[in-house]
This record gives sequence, C-alpha cells and structure tokens, in this order.
Amino acid sequence: MNIEEFTQKLETEFEEVEPGTLTPDTHYKSIKGWSSMHALIIIAFVDAQFDTILNGGDLKSASTIRDLYNIVIEKTK
Amino acid sequence: MIDLKNKKILITGASSGIGRSVAILCDELGAETIITGRNEEELNNTHLLLKNRSKQLTADLSKEDSINELLSKIPSIDGFVHCAGIINPLPVKFIKKKHIDDIFMINFSSAVLLSSGLLSLKKINPQASVVFISSVSAHHPYTGGSLYTSSKAALEAFTRGFALEASAKKIRVNIIAPALVRTNILEQSEQIYSKEEIAEIENRYPFGIGEPIDIANAIAFLLSPLSGWITGTTLNMDGGLLLNSK
Repeated sequence: MNIEEFTQKLETEFEEVEPGTLTPDTHYKSIKGWSSMHALIIIAFVDAQFDTILNGGDLKSASTIRDLYNIVIEKTK
Repeated sequence: MIDLKNKKILITGASSGIGRSVAILCDELGAETIITGRNEEELNNTHLLLKNRSKQLTADLSKEDSINELLSKIPSIDGFVHCAGIINPLPVKFIKKKHIDDIFMINFSSAVLLSSGLLSLKKINPQASVVFISSVSAHHPYTGGSLYTSSKAALEAFTRGFALEASAKKIRVNIIAPALVRTNILEQSEQIYSKEEIAEIENRYPFGIGEPIDIANAIAFLLSPLSGWITGTTLNMDGGLLLNSK
C-alpha cells in the first residue's frame, strides 16, 4: 500500500472527515473533532491492514500521516 | 484485623498491577501464596518481594493447556483471586471473532475454567473465598471498550451463578468493580488519550484515581473470615466517580 492509498483509506475510516481533506502532510491530531476515538481507529486500521500493532508511543511520535505511514512501513520490514 | 495465616491463596495476573499488590498484601497478612502470570521475569520480581512460603508458576491463561497445567501443579487452596485481564480497546466496526476470542479467553473463560477445574479436582477447600475483578465500565461504557466491558459484565453474571452453586460448600464468590486504577494499563491509555482528556477524567474522581493497594485491601477483606456473610456481590470501588453520574 502506498502513502496515497494509506491516506485515502484512513480518511474513509474517519468517516466524519470531508473526502479529500487528508493529505500525507496533514497533522492528523489537528483535524476537526480529533479525539481518542480517532487514535483507536488508527491503531485498529493498521492492525487490520498490516497485522502490526502501533503503540501509544508511536502515535505520540508521529505528527503527520506521512510520519505514521513511515512508522508502519518500518515496523513491517 | 485481617488475618490470612494458614491460608493458601492462588493469585493470577500477579506479575503486575493489582495482582502484584494482592500477592504482597496477602503475604504480609500471613498467607501462603501461589502466584501466576505470563511474564516470567516480572512474576519473579513479585516473588522476590514475598517473605512467606510462595510458589511461582508461569502460565499463559490464553491457552487451555496452560490452564490445565496450572491446575495440576497447585495444591488445594483457600482463596482464589483472578487478576489476569486485558483491555485491547477497539472501535466496534473493527471487531472480528479473533478479538472477541482473545479478550473473552483471558477476562472471562480462564476465570470460568479455573473455577471449574478447582471444583472438579477438589482443589478448593470448604470456607474458601473467590474474588474476581470486573470494572465499573461493565455498566458505564467508554469509547473503544465494548468488548472489554462485555467480558467483565459476563464475569459479574458468572460470579452470581458460581456463588449460588458454591454456597453448598460454604465457598464464597464475590467480584470487585473498580474504576481507574494506576497500573500499566492506565499508562498505556495515557499514550492514547490526550493530556486534556486524562486531566478531565481525573477531575471526575473526588478521591482521585485508585492505587492497586486500594483494591488489594478490599480483596484481603473478602478473602478473610471477616467477610464471612458476603457472597455473590459486586463491590463498586470508584473513589466517588459515580456519585456524579446520573
């Protein structure tokens, strides 16, 4: 899965985000209405798609969707 | 004064958090403990803190074989405290059967299988006391917790059924439903929830977030003869949290 696809799929999972809002450089924690539910969705999405568990520390260290993607790719190597 | 001398007490989840605190307190109150946990190194760290006779048995309660092996290795007991548990927060739309199986196996099925095994192998003495751990969230939901809270609600129902059957042998069965307690489970949540969310949660506790010893103290009471007239109950422990809820 490339980063564009990753961003698009994550956006679909967030549901309440307007389509086309997220880009790889979006600071995802600053999206409108950000809550712990979004963090849980990211963890569950990555688990389902990549069979990889992100921990809270991973989420803390990632600011943009690109950061997240890079962590996932690094973990699945 | 709570006295647990001459009592053998089995404690699961003793490698950390509430389980470790229960092991230390039971030991201080004179009990002989049988401690189990999945993490051998951490279980050993608990063991090093105990002064009385204690048996340490590594067991993975997510596996039935491991549960049976544990049952075969323990002596007859006077108390059983099941602290093993996992949280695994997950939004409903991501739940697959595997997630249900994982969380129910540790939080619910292992408690049931250990209880059943203790009875059928006659390894639980008359007058014994069993204490399970639920959560206030079994009745007060939180985001991502639907599976966890369901497993705890199931365990509360099992507690009453088990208490009814075990009463014939004068064995008591109770369950404690704590709100947030400062354990590594909370530390994990602190990485998911924002500082503001955590502060907001903490503010809702008139007596602050619980410490493992707060729960261990109540468990020691439920294990002791001082609670001899209490069975089949759920004890909410929430530092006043629910006083504010409608």
